[in-house]
Order: sequence, then C-alpha cells, then structure tokens
Amino acid sequence: MAAALQACDLVVDARIGDALVPVIRDLSFELQAGKILGLIGESGAGKSMVGRAVAQLLPQGFAITAGALFFEGKDLLKMPPAHRRFLLGRAIGFIPQAPLTALNPVLTIGAQFDEHLARLGCTSSRERRQSAVAMLEAARLPRPSDLLRCYPHQLSGGMCQRVLIAMAFASDPRLVIADEPTTALDVTLHAPIIRLIADMQRRHRTAVLFITHDLRLAAQICDDVIVMYAGRAVESGPARAVLSNPAHPYTRCLQLANPSMQGDCRALYVMPEQMPSLRQLAGMSGCHFAPRCPLAMEDCQRVAPPDQTIAPGRRAACLHVATTPSIAAKAPAAMAASAAARPVLALEGVHKRYIVRAGLLGTARIVTAVKNASFSIRENEFVALVGESGSGKSTIARLLVGLEQPDAGRILLNGEDVGSASARNHDLRTKSLQMVFQDPYSALNPRRRIASIVTQAMEAGSRHADWDQRLARTRDLLAEVGLPSDLATRFPHQLSGGQRQRINIARALCTLPTVLIADEIVSGLDVSIQAQLLNLLARLRAELGFAMLFISHDLSAVRFLCSRVLVMYRGEIVEEGPTETVFADPRHSHTRALVSSVPPDNPEAPWPAFDVAQPTV
Amino acid sequence: MKGPLAHSLRSPKVLIALSMIFCIATCAIFAGAVAPHEPGEQNLLAILTPPEWMPGGDPNYPLGTDSLGRCVLSRLIYGARTAMLVAFFASLGAMIIGSVLAHISGYFGGAVDWVIGRLVDIWMSFPPVILSLILMVGLGIGLGKVILAIILVDWTRFCRVLRSEVLVVTRHEYVAAARLLGFTHRQTIVREVLPATLPLLITLLSLEMAIAVVVEAILSFVGLGVSADQPAWGQMIADARQYVYQSPSNLLLPIAAICFTVMAFNLLGDGLRRSLDVRLMETGH
Ligand SMILES: Nc1ncnc2c1ncn2[C@@H]1O[C@H](COP(=O)(O)OP(=O)(O)OP(=O)(O)O)[C@@H](O)[C@H]1O
Ligand code: SF4
Ligand SMILES: [Mg+2]
Repeated sequence: MAAALQACDLVVDARIGDALVPVIRDLSFELQAGKILGLIGESGAGKSMVGRAVAQLLPQGFAITAGALFFEGKDLLKMPPAHRRFLLGRAIGFIPQAPLTALNPVLTIGAQFDEHLARLGCTSSRERRQSAVAMLEAARLPRPSDLLRCYPHQLSGGMCQRVLIAMAFASDPRLVIADEPTTALDVTLHAPIIRLIADMQRRHRTAVLFITHDLRLAAQICDDVIVMYAGRAVESGPARAVLSNPAHPYTRCLQLANPSMQGDCRALYVMPEQMPSLRQLAGMSGCHFAPRCPLAMEDCQRVAPPDQTIAPGRRAACLHVATTPSIAAKAPAAMAASAAARPVLALEGVHKRYIVRAGLLGTARIVTAVKNASFSIRENEFVALVGESGSGKSTIARLLVGLEQPDAGRILLNGEDVGSASARNHDLRTKSLQMVFQDPYSALNPRRRIASIVTQAMEAGSRHADWDQRLARTRDLLAEVGLPSDLATRFPHQLSGGQRQRINIARALCTLPTVLIADEIVSGLDVSIQAQLLNLLARLRAELGFAMLFISHDLSAVRFLCSRVLVMYRGEIVEEGPTETVFADPRHSHTRALVSSVPPDNPEAPWPAFDVAQPTV
Repeated sequence: MKGPLAHSLRSPKVLIALSMIFCIATCAIFAGAVAPHEPGEQNLLAILTPPEWMPGGDPNYPLGTDSLGRCVLSRLIYGARTAMLVAFFASLGAMIIGSVLAHISGYFGGAVDWVIGRLVDIWMSFPPVILSLILMVGLGIGLGKVILAIILVDWTRFCRVLRSEVLVVTRHEYVAAARLLGFTHRQTIVREVLPATLPLLITLLSLEMAIAVVVEAILSFVGLGVSADQPAWGQMIADARQYVYQSPSNLLLPIAAICFTVMAFNLLGDGLRRSLDVRLMETGH
C-alpha cells in the first residue's frame, strides 16, 4: 500500500528581491497510514511551510519549484486542481494553531459544523446534525447539542480546539496535518488535546503530520520525527531513537537547551546567534548550522553535508556525526548565594475584584481575580508563580508594581505598606521594584532608540541625567545582558525577539532594583533564546543580587530558576513550597495537573497524563 | 530610520499641497505688497469692470472691480489673509482643547473618560453650522469671535478621534513601563503617548484648517462673520450675488479661492495620513 504522504526531494523557493531562496530544500519523507510523523525545529525552520505546501496554501512569492508530493501514490502537484481541492478538507484534514481565529466569530458552532459537513457531501440536514453531535461527543465535549448553539467566543480555547479537531476528523480523513495544535492553549490542556488527537488518529487509522517545537512532546507521541533546520531535514528517524540518542549536533543542542524536569539543575546549553533568516540563507555555503555548531570544523564551511544513513531507518546531514555525543551537558548552574531571611516584599491577605459588565446594559458581574493571597519574597530569592491562564498571576504582578490597587489586604515593601496609589508609594515602589513585561514587542516604545529605552529611568521625575551619563550606563547595561554596544543607537524594530527581551530586562535593571517581577518573559520565545535568557537571569542574580517573582507556565524553566514555587488556582494560592518538593510530591489537584502536563525528559519513559483517562476540560 | 515627518515630505501629494498653501500664505502675509490697491479703496467711476482680458477691462484692475468699484484682486488677496488667520488660529485652538481632553480622557479612562465622553456627545448632537451661527449671534461679529466660535464648535472633532488613538497607544506595555520607571503621569503622556498620536494630530489639524476656511466663508456670507470693513471671501460672494448677470466673475473668483484653499488643506491632510500612518511605521516599512 502506498504511503499516506510521501515527499520526494521537495523544494519550496521564496522570491526575495531578485533572488530565489530555498525555504525547503530536498525534503524527502514517507508517512505511512496510521502513523504520526513529527516535524520539529525552532521558529523559522520551515516546519509550517511543509504543511502549507501540502495544502497548497503557500504565501505570496513562495512556490514549489522541484520535487513531488504523493498522497496515497497520487501526485498532488500534477493532479488537476479540481481533484486536489476535492481531496483537501476531505481526505486531508487540518488542525490549525490558533483555534479562536480559525472559527468564524459570527456563526454558531452548529452553523459552521453544518456548513463543513454539507461541503463534505452530506445532503440531509438531520443526518448532518446527528453526525455533528456524534463528532463533538467523540471529541469529548460536554453537552454537544447545547454547544451547537454557541458562538466561538463563548467557548474556551481548549473547547474551540476540540471543535476544530472534531471537524478535521469528521470526513474520516486519511491524513491530518496538525500545526502546533497546542501552542496557543493553556499548559494544562496540552496533554488532553494531544491525547484526543492521538485517540482520533488511532480510531480512524489516520496518518498525522504533527508540527511542533517541543522535543519531549514529539518523543512521546510521534512514531517518526524529522528535525528541521533552515529549511533542511538535518536528522530523521524513529522518534524515541532520535531523541534519546541524537546524531545531529543541532538535535543535541536543542535538547541540552531545554531545562530538565528531573535530576540535577545544569546550566542550559546556549547556541550562539540565531537561525539564519531567508535573506542570510541566500549567501550561505556549506553547512547552514556551521555558525552555531560547537563541532564545526573548517570543512563544514565548504561542503554541504550530504544526508547519510547512519543506522537502519535513521539519517542525518552532518559531516561529523560520530562526534555528536561529545557535546556534553554543562556543569550545574552556579546557584546564587542562598536567600537571606529578611523578606523584601510581602503580600498579606490581598483581595482584588473586578467588575465586569457584559455588553452595554448587561448586569455587572463581580470577578474575584485574587482571593486572600499571602506570601513573601526574601532578599535574593527567586520565587515562581505558576498556574493556568486566568488564575490571577498577572493580577498579582500588577498589584505588586502598583498598576492596580488591592481591595483589601496589605502589600509590604521592606516592611512598609505601599498598597495604595499615593505618590509617595509610587516613589517607594519605583525605587526598589521593577517589572519585566511579557510582550517584547509592545513593551518597547518604537520611537525611542535602545539607549534611550534602557536608561529611561534616568529621565523620570525630576531626574535629568545628561546624555553622556546615559550612554555610559547603556554600555554597562548592554554588556550585562550580553548585547553588543552598537545596538545603542538602533530602534526596537531592528532587533530580534530575543534581543528585545534582553533590552526589556536591561531597562528594568537600570536603577538596580531589589525585586524584579517577570511576567511570562520566556514564553513564546524559541528554545535556544529561552535558554540564553534563563542563563542570563541566573548569572545576573549572582552578579547583581536581586529577588524575583517569576511568573510562568513553563515548569521546567521554573525548576531551573526558582528555589520556591507558589501555585495559583482560581485566584487563590493553593500550594507553596520548595520547587523540588512541590514538583516531586504535588498535593493540590491543580498542581498535580500542572506537573503531569509536562512530558518526561526521557523519551522512553511513559507519560501518565497522555495515557490515563482524565476528565474532559 | 528618518522621522515620520521628514519621510512624509517625499510624498508628492504633500509636496503639491504644501506649495499651494505656500502661495496662499504668501499672499496672506504680504498682502500689502502683493495687492495693487487697498482692499477698501472705492472707485465709483469704475464699478463692475470686467477682468482685464475681457472687452472693457481695465489694466488697473486685473480681475475687475465690484459694485462699489473696489479691486477684486486686492480683495481676494486680503480675503486670503482673513481666511488664513481664521484657519490657523481656530484649528490650533480647537486642536489644543480637543487633544488635551482626548489625552486625559484616553489615558486615565474611568470616570474622567466617561464625563469627557458625555460632554463630547452632547456637544456633537448640535449641527455644527447651526451651533456656530447661534454662537456668532451671541458673541457678535469680528475676526476674534469667528475664531472663538469655530474653536468652541470643533474641538469635539479632535477629542473624539484622538481619544480612541490614545486608548490604543495607552494599552501598549511601554506606557505602563514608563510609569514604573518613575515617570509622572504628565511625563508619560507627553513623552510616551503624544509622540505616537502626533501624526494623527497633525493630519487632523490640516483637515480642520479646511473646515475652518469653509465655516468662516459661510459665516461671512450670512453677515455673521468678520466685521464689514474686513475683506472676506464669503462676503465677496454675498455681494456679488446681486450682480451675477453683469459680472459673473465676481461670484466665481472667491468661490474658486475657497475651493483652492480647501483642496490644498485636504490634500495635505490626506497625504500626511497616508505617509504618517503609524501602523506602517511600526513594522519598519
Ligand atoms: N508569509 C511569509 N512571507 C515571507 N516569509 C515567510 C512567510 N511565512 C514564513 N516565511 C519565512 O519562511 C521561513 C520558514 O517559515 P515557517 O513558517 O515554515 O517556519 P516554522 O518552522 O513553522 O516556524 P514557527 O515555529 O515559528 O511556526 C522563515 O524564514 C520565515 O521567515
Ligand atoms: S556539518 Fe559541521 S557544522 Fe554542520 S552540523 Fe555537522 S559538524 Fe556542525
Ligand atoms: Mg509554524
């Protein structure tokens, strides 16, 4: 029987100016019916482009210029367009990355499902309704018949994704392409959604092309994986074999850049620089990974490494495969001097309510964002605040820095209550508290140069530092966060996401605060950039000495950085303790859900959350 | 990256508009030197003479004379002075009031925003021309009064449009960041929010100038504008109405002057809006 999807030396070119740059080069793979093939790699590796090539949804200026794509033995590129359109959406289904934007906001779920089924050729509207209900039930959505009357915005992100999964599988497709189906969702939903996809896949014996950047996840659910770098498959083979024993230096580096959930805390492996952009790729020869490769030798710059078979079923494109295991984990991170006993920042019984009005005349509803929160952070201590989205983590951050005021309770900074919004409290807070914002794009004023951004505190209030002083301070700060000083005269849009986040940190450090509040500062960044930032924060703590409240949903990052963890659930702090203890022996059910949502480090180990039947969300 | 204003100078629309405005402004400022006669100077021996190139034209009066024998060209040039004074000061005043309130309203939100929003709503429920006529009846005529009336009517236009822009800018995390770095509210508004709303503000300003020219013309036309001894385009139209058959050019010329000026300001506003579009700037294009 022919493979469900087969690519032969596929090339996708992009037109950049006058030149054609390959976005995907000579990609070959075979995906058998009923199997899951993972495409992994960092942002910009070309993973999504493969899915878009299959769907024939390439962006403007991109085109398949060589090679072939076979769907069950039929050439997708050569078949008449009408025939191909017939296959897409029927025999080939898609699960998108952003569930909320994939559904039409003005139509009910029922209307959209009905339309989808009608397009699939089901003529009886009663039958359509029945199968919609059945599919939603199969996607483990509660009360499907009520759900059909809902609009997308009335559902949570997880529910929307379940609806889309149900739609994708409604036509009983032979191939499903899932592009990062969980990235936009809450961590606690990752395991259930993945389980649902795997479940549907087994039931329908569908082949799945699973696109993800999460190596641990790929190891758990994929049969085979392809690791992509700069448009090329650098390594491929059976998932567990590849990830437990990587042959290509890039796979190895990616793995070491991920903080681990078990064992000693080691320093994270940091790959220098970033994946080349399409523009940079145009002028590169030899191995494209060479500028970042720890094993690069002189020949790597000249010769493009061929894709060799290194073991039965395993291939890698590297000239020095044999030396890959020599890339070793770094020594354990130098942990900062233990925290002093004195608390710098404390919350005592803090409550915060928001009044939410539904519509213009809707009745006001009171939402309790934070309920009776008490905790303290000691000098030089890194404390993590974890919890699902909407649990009130960001509200705590905003209360601490004074962007919101508590309805009850006290916020003590060095023993003084700074909860209210008075000018004096604002001064006290700005002196010792700083915040690093989540979104590196919106947090930097696009009209200021980098030097003016990082030293912005020096022009605040009645301070008027002269420009020379500010430039000197900029140089120090840029050096501290590991950026070259010539960035000082640039504008934010000329920087990459990782560089912007460093600027964001540098700005908060300008006045040497004693406490830093960091709200999800590493989420949405690539593994290698995340590793750079986590290492940076660990180093800065040792050098400068400050305490931090690290808000994150990434438990491995939390484990790497923080000695104590607070777990928040529906506005309450439900569990608190040393990170190791809490993660090893979670008490509260929500903590357990969080901890079990992380796939194990070891690709061979079982992932309980993935197998055990759990209540639907 | 060049400043957005420097960048906008490369747009042909903006350049054409600026040269048109430059012509009008030169006439307005140097009216005394440019105009062949005093605007009020009457020559009762030469009333309603046609323009120079027409049969019976007089080279002394290039665009002819009106019913009192006053030089039409000179009156047009002095009229430009009136129009430009009104356009400049009225739109500046409306902009200052409107944008200050818009920034306060959008930045602080909450009750302040509600009060200012309702005030604007009530204000805008009156048709603007009627409101300015009522104001002129109340205030009396004169250049200063015209400017004041236009300011009082049109600040809401700035307020409404700018407020939503301020709201969008204020949601950016860098505005909150500035506060946390120790900026006072005033510093935050002036240094972080205003630079982002400035392009829109300038665009609105040039559009408002066009509106002010029209409103001034309407007010002068009905005799509720500047005082009678001050030449104004609206007045000229009103005067020429009665002699439209003897001398149609007297009616057409001030109308053409108004159209030319309004077009110049609209073209400028449109060109600026396109080339200053902040959303385009931020993505680095
Ligand atoms: N619409 C577009 N226009 C121009 N270039 C694009 C476009 N979409 C993607 N690219 C470029 O194509 C290359 C591959 O992008 P692709 O989206 O496949 O990466 P990816 O591996 O899916 O990354 P991510 O993990 O961020 O989704 C990148 O260099 C990217 O910058
Ligand atoms: S070919 Fe050379 S540069 Fe490329 S991955 Fe192998 S060792 Fe590194
Ligand atoms: Mg992608």
